[in-house]
Parts: sequence; C-alpha cells; structure tokens
Amino acid sequence: MALKNTFLFKILKYGSVVCGSPRSGRAATAAILGRSPFRYYYNNAGKPSSRGAGGTSHARVVDLRSDTVTKPGPAMRQAMAEAEVGDDVMGEDPTVNDLQQIAADLFGMEAAIFVPSGTMSNLIAVMVHCRERGDEMIVGDLSHLHIYEQGGSAQVSELHIPQKKKKKKSLILVKCVFIVMMQLAGVHSTTVTTLPDGTFDLKQLEAKIRHGYPDPHYPRSRLICVENTHNIQGGRVLPLPFLQEVRALADQYGVSLHMDGARLMNAAVAQEVPPSAILQHTHTVSVCLSKGLGSPVGTVLAGPRDFISKALRCRKALGGGMRQAGILAAAGKFSLENMIGRLVEDHRNAKTFALGEHRPPNVPNGCRSCPSSYLCSISLPALLDCKPPLFVVDVSAVETNILRFALQDSTMTPQEFCTRMSEVGEDEEAALGQGVQVLMYPHFGNSVRAVWHLGISAEDTRLAIQKMRFVASRYFTEIIK
Amino acid sequence: MALKNTFLFKILKYGSVVCGSPRSGRAATAAILGRSPFRYYYNNAGKPSSRGAGGTSHARVVDLRSDTVTKPGPAMRQAMAEAEVGDDVMGEDPTVNDLQQIAADLFGMEAAIFVPSGTMSNLIAVMVHCRERGDEMIVGDLSHLHIYEQGGSAQLAGVHSTTVTTLPDGTFDLKQLEAKIRHGYPDPHYPRSRLICVENTHNIQGGRVLPLPFLQEVRALADQYGVSLHMDGARLMNAAVAQEVPPSAILQHTHTVSVCLSKGLGSPVGTVLAGPRDFISKALRCRKALGGGMRQAGILAAAGKFSLENMIGRLVEDHRNAKTFALALLDCKPPLFVVDVSAVETNILRFALQDSTMTPQEFCTRMSEVGEDEEAALGQGVQVLMYPHFGNSVRAVWHLGISAEDTRLAIQKMRFVASRYFTEIIK
Repeated sequence: MALKNTFLFKILKYGSVVCGSPRSGRAATAAILGRSPFRYYYNNAGKPSSRGAGGTSHARVVDLRSDTVTKPGPAMRQAMAEAEVGDDVMGEDPTVNDLQQIAADLFGMEAAIFVPSGTMSNLIAVMVHCRERGDEMIVGDLSHLHIYEQGGSAQVSELHIPQKKKKKKSLILVKCVFIVMMQLAGVHSTTVTTLPDGTFDLKQLEAKIRHGYPDPHYPRSRLICVENTHNIQGGRVLPLPFLQEVRALADQYGVSLHMDGARLMNAAVAQEVPPSAILQHTHTVSVCLSKGLGSPVGTVLAGPRDFISKALRCRKALGGGMRQAGILAAAGKFSLENMIGRLVEDHRNAKTFALGEHRPPNVPNGCRSCPSSYLCSISLPALLDCKPPLFVVDVSAVETNILRFALQDSTMTPQEFCTRMSEVGEDEEAALGQGVQVLMYPHFGNSVRAVWHLGISAEDTRLAIQKMRFVASRYFTEIIK
Repeated sequence: MALKNTFLFKILKYGSVVCGSPRSGRAATAAILGRSPFRYYYNNAGKPSSRGAGGTSHARVVDLRSDTVTKPGPAMRQAMAEAEVGDDVMGEDPTVNDLQQIAADLFGMEAAIFVPSGTMSNLIAVMVHCRERGDEMIVGDLSHLHIYEQGGSAQLAGVHSTTVTTLPDGTFDLKQLEAKIRHGYPDPHYPRSRLICVENTHNIQGGRVLPLPFLQEVRALADQYGVSLHMDGARLMNAAVAQEVPPSAILQHTHTVSVCLSKGLGSPVGTVLAGPRDFISKALRCRKALGGGMRQAGILAAAGKFSLENMIGRLVEDHRNAKTFALALLDCKPPLFVVDVSAVETNILRFALQDSTMTPQEFCTRMSEVGEDEEAALGQGVQVLMYPHFGNSVRAVWHLGISAEDTRLAIQKMRFVASRYFTEIIK
C-alpha cells in the first residue's frame, strides 16, 4: 500500500504501530513504550493508545465520534503561542481583528465576529434577525439549531410573549428530541420537513411564512435558517440552485436567510467552489473553526456591517465577550489559511469506509458508485461490500466527511454495533495483529454516524474497515450457532 | 530610587526608557529602534510606545483603564502552548478538568465550571438559581450585574430584579434587604425571591472589600428566608489578598461564586463559576445553551491554572501602587482632587475633582495626551489612560502591567497636568 506521507513503524514485540505522520509515529511509539512527553503536543491520529475492554494497552483508537475532537498541531500551537493580543472587548486585539477581516473577505460578507461556539453564533443570528417580540423563525425539523441547541432561541418567559395560540404548536414541536427553541431569545420557531438530502420542500416553506401578518393572530416571519452541510442527514451538501430558490423566496417575502454553515468548508470543497459562491445566497452565515478546520475553539459569524454591530451587543449579553482572545483567533487564522484544502482527504476516507477500495487504485470516479462494483477486483471491501450484507448505506449520499449508515433489519441495533466496534475482543489481536477501538455514535433514525477529520488518516480508515469486517464476521458466527 | 527587578535604560538620543523588567526594557528599546519581534510576546508594562496627541513616538503608555488589559507573559504562554487538550463538551479536556478541580478546592466549593467570561458566569448563576418563571433576584443598584451586563438576566433569563441601595463601601443596608424579600409570596401578586447577589470587590464603589461580618449577616438572612446567595467575585482574589484570608474564608458565606481569571490574575480569557455539585451540573446545561461550550478549551484553562497557582500573591503590589497614587493625589497643591484614601483597599482607585475645576472627562483627556512642552518638562511624554466613572468621578485600575515606576510616571504626569491647569486658570 503506497501511503503518501506515512511512516510504517513496526515494533515486533509490541505489535505494529501505523501512524499518519513521522511525528505521530514517534509519539505513538513513545506512548506505547511508556514515555509520553509529546503525546499531547502533536497531532496524533486518534487518541493515544488506551486500554480497550479487552485489556490491551496496545489498542489503536480511531475516533470517529465527531470532527470536534480535532486537536491543534505544532504549527498551530506555535501560532497561538506567538499571537499578538489585546483586550477584544475594547476592540484592541489585533489577531481577532485580523481573523474577522480574513473571514469576512473569504465569505464575501461585509463583516464578521469571532465567538466561542457555533451554538452562540446561531443564537446571536436569531437574536439579531428576530429582535422584536412576536417574530418567528423557520427551521428544518432536523436542523442542529432545532435539535441540538437546547431550544436556545425560545428559552424564555412566555410572560413576555403574548403567544397564547403558540402553546399548541409548542407541544407539537416537542415531539422532536430536544426541547423547543424558545429558551433565551424568546423567538418562536416553526419547522419544515427536512428531506434526506438536507433540503426541504419550497412549497412547504412558502406555506410556513405567515401571510396573515399583521393580523394579531400571527407572529411575523423574520428568518429562514438552512444548514450546510446538513449534520443529521449525514453531511449533505445543499445544492446551489436550492439555495438560490430559498433566497428568492426569502426576498419575495422580506425574510432574512441565515446559514448554519458549521461545516460550510466541507460543502465548498465538495462542490469545488469558493465559499463566497455558496454564501452569495445567504444574508448571514455561521462557520465553525473548531471542527474539521482544526482550531481548538471558535466560530465566525458573518454578515452585513449593521448586523455584525448588533451581533457584538448580543455576544456581550450572552457572555461571549472574551478578552485576549487573539490566542484562539491565531489558530482560527491558521485554519482558514492552511486547513481548508485538506478536507478533501476526509471526504475521501469517509467514502472509502462506505465503498471500500478497488484495484487498480486509479478506478475512475464513475465506478465508485457502480452497483456492479462488487464484480471488480476489490482490494478492501467495506460497508457496501460486506458479505453477508449487514449494512444499509447509500454511497451516493456520502458527500463530505460524515457517513451515516444503518444496519439491516433484525441484525444489531446501532448501539450494539457501536459498542462492539469500540471494544477490543480477546481474539482480535490474534486475528488482526492488534486491537483497534473504533468510536462512533448511534444516530437519528436508527442509524450510525461516523465523522472523518484531520486526526484520521487513510491508514486509520483501513484499520477501521478491518475492524468493521471483524465485528461483522463475529456477529454472523454467533448467530449461526 | 531603589527599584526591585527594574532595569533603567537610557538612550540619550531618544530620551529615557524606563521599564519594569529587563525583558520589557529590551522590548521597549527594540520598539523605539524600530524592531518589534518580541513586542507582543513579553509582559510589557503598559502598551508599547505609541504616538500621543503631541505627536511623539517616545511616549510611554500607562494603561490604567482596567485590569482586563493584562496580557499573558512568557511562562503563561508556554503553559498554554504545551497544554494537553481534549473536547471539553465531551468532558475530555484534562486541563479544563484540572482547572475546575483546583478552583473548586481553592474556593471551598464542591465543583466548578470554566466559562468564557464573567458576564456569562453571572448569567448562568442567575439562570440556575432562578429557574422557575416568576422568580426574582435582589441585586445592588450599582452592581456590575445590574449596570454592565446589558440586563441579560431579564433579556435572556426572564428573571425580574429588584435593587437595594449600594453604600459607599460596597455593602447595603440589611433592613432594606430584608424588606425587599417578598414576604407576601405565594399570594399571586408577588414573585418569589430566589437569589441575593453581592459583589466583591465592588467595582463601581472603587474596589471595595466586603467585610466578612457583613457577608455573614447577609447569609444568615438568606438562610432565614430560603434564598440563595451568589457572589460576583470577579475580583475576589483582590479581596482575599487585602483581607489576608484564604478565598474559602470569604466564600464560606456564599452558596456560589464567580471568579475572573482574566482580570488581575492575568489569564487571557475566562472565569470560573463554583458551587454545589448539583448547581454546577445545571450550570453546564446553561453554559451550553448560551454558547459557552468550547472544545479544546484547555489552551485557555492552562493559563487559568497558571494564574491560580502563581499570580495571586502579587496582587498586593497592585494594591500598593494604587495607594501610592492616591496619596499623591491627596498631596497635590493647590488641591485639585477629592479622594478618600481609606477607601482605597485594593487595585481600584476612584477619585473626583474639586468643584469648578475640570470634569472627569477633561482630566482623563489631558492625562492621555502628550503636551508639546511635556517632554521638556518631564524628559519624556507619558500617556496615562483612565476612565471617567460613575458619580462624576475618575477610575484608575492597577494590574500586573503597571509597575511601581509606571506609577511614579503617572504621578509625575498628574502633577504636570495639575500645574498646567492652574497656570491656565490664573491667566
């Protein structure tokens, strides 16, 4: 296997240690041999060796739980260590100011603001777009904003909001996993049905806009939110024509359009367009630096100048006014300047896990989704080719770094599968040469989610595939008995 | 002048450069000579040389606007660079976990949580203590929570507040406090009193330290009525150092506390909120909802650990420098300033100008500008930055970026401004 920029290091006594780079090879070796001075300093592939359920300390960890686990590497740490700082609440941190300018330019927006998290970024966007009592926002029913942000948009005293009728709607919305979005900003939300590709039906969207306003029964529609890439649906990239049409509808009705672009760069890389080509269709955007882009902390919220100056106030009220934040912004700059292009590797690795590897390695892209690919000479079959079939996966839906797949009916639950993948069985080392712990999360709709990121190399991906095949074969052995 | 750990460097051609330490001497010199590789890397006293209104690039800046301007020095930066990190939302950042444990132990609390700012810390405390609709909190009318946090407790948390009158020493009248508690509840006219907030040290009143007997009495009242007591302890360590007690001796009287790491303690970012375990687990949820769930926050927590382990004791120098400046104000002849030196307990100095002299704004402006004849008179231009403050006063804040020598320069500048003012009014 020709692995670009990898260093295969074998310690016969301890089993093999395969790492994504010379540095992490050295660090992983040191960890195994009991010395760990640099374990945390380098950008290791996965977490350092840890004991699995099987009790071995040699297990390699392949952490596919999320791209939020990315750690800063040496160059990024150096940028942070040398960052010029100032009091950002006073507007005097030059590194934060730089980052905000770089981001605004990259996104084709007038201005930008650096915030501690994507949750805060989206909440600020809602607070600024929907700043009058009685405003309403429209979100996808499976959007991160709606499901995972603890109902931040609506988390507050309904005493202040005369929306008696809305109580009924609130109860309907509660059917979703997390509480309704009204906690903090006092903004009512209504949802549109999220389609498998992350989009939604435009007719349904139009119907959700409150045409009866200003009749006092109705809130005022102020905001539509889209999510790109769409997390729950498996890292789906929103098609540009869809965005164009949503924007046209928004303009027609005087409603704003905000993009939760936590993984926007993954979309841009997948579509092979600059981010501004996507963002021309939105008024504002939130882009995470701490996910696939590798920064330790932070997100950038971007939009018109007036929006950003109001956003500054909201950020302060929420408690996001940090002081010498240039330490963090330096990492953000480094991310935007150096770490966008490499996302294509994460996409490739995710696809490989779904599709497997085929010989010859230069198989044209067209073959990759061919239903007869199993007839080709497969060097490393993965989810799709697992025989007997254990998995259900739509490889054409694997567009970026997130892979969402299910298990065949009457086999394992997602939880069982994830547990088996994360444990190291007694006979595993004998069968595979080493223990491998693959960490993934059970996911919406009885599926499993695995996320690729800079800490997961092509070799880690192969190990994960091997582990998956091992788990599959053991499962089938058990059910035969 | 015997200056401990200072390095007097004089470049005759450029005027004198007086710095608080050898490193910043070198850096300041480099800045003057046009090289600035380490200007930002070292813990300079004040901001690097910048142009004053007088147009000179040799002016020394003495930044007394706030202790939030403190920058990390080399050792702190190294701690940050080497920090072991993980995803803190998943609870996997060992450095954050360490910091939280260290803080909890230091404060005598069960648990603690690291948050991006004091504003968020106080907001979370309000959200957790007052989590039912119809709850009410009691705060000082001049508290930071009430004045400077954009009304977040109402805006975001939906909590009604009522105020008590803040006395000059930062305390309030206990009878008034008791009267503010809603004895009529649960009659539906009345909200339910859930929380009392105290601020220590008290910012607006000039860095005042709350007396321990006062805290004890407030806590007794709170317990009597089943109300919680939260301390906005942004500058708690200044109080502890001034009173020469461990922080836990102060905090035994409160249920929860918010302590800033980014002010006098010198960390770049962050605050710790501490309290009972159950409170902190609810606080974790609020922090996430507000958007304070950071990922590899250990980078920042490493600086916080460094602060708690190394930078508490030195606060006594900031207190000393503030006091020195206050005594100088008092000695100014003819008298221009009104200052109660006994009220200067920590690193914040609040003073006023005599009636019919200057406004606080004018004074601050003159202190920050470099006059044409100033270099001739003083040997160099000095820009002293302060803020006009509540009640027609001026506030100046000492911190690790202000040395004893900077304080002397600020005193010189103050005398220069005073003498020029009196010269003008005589004409």
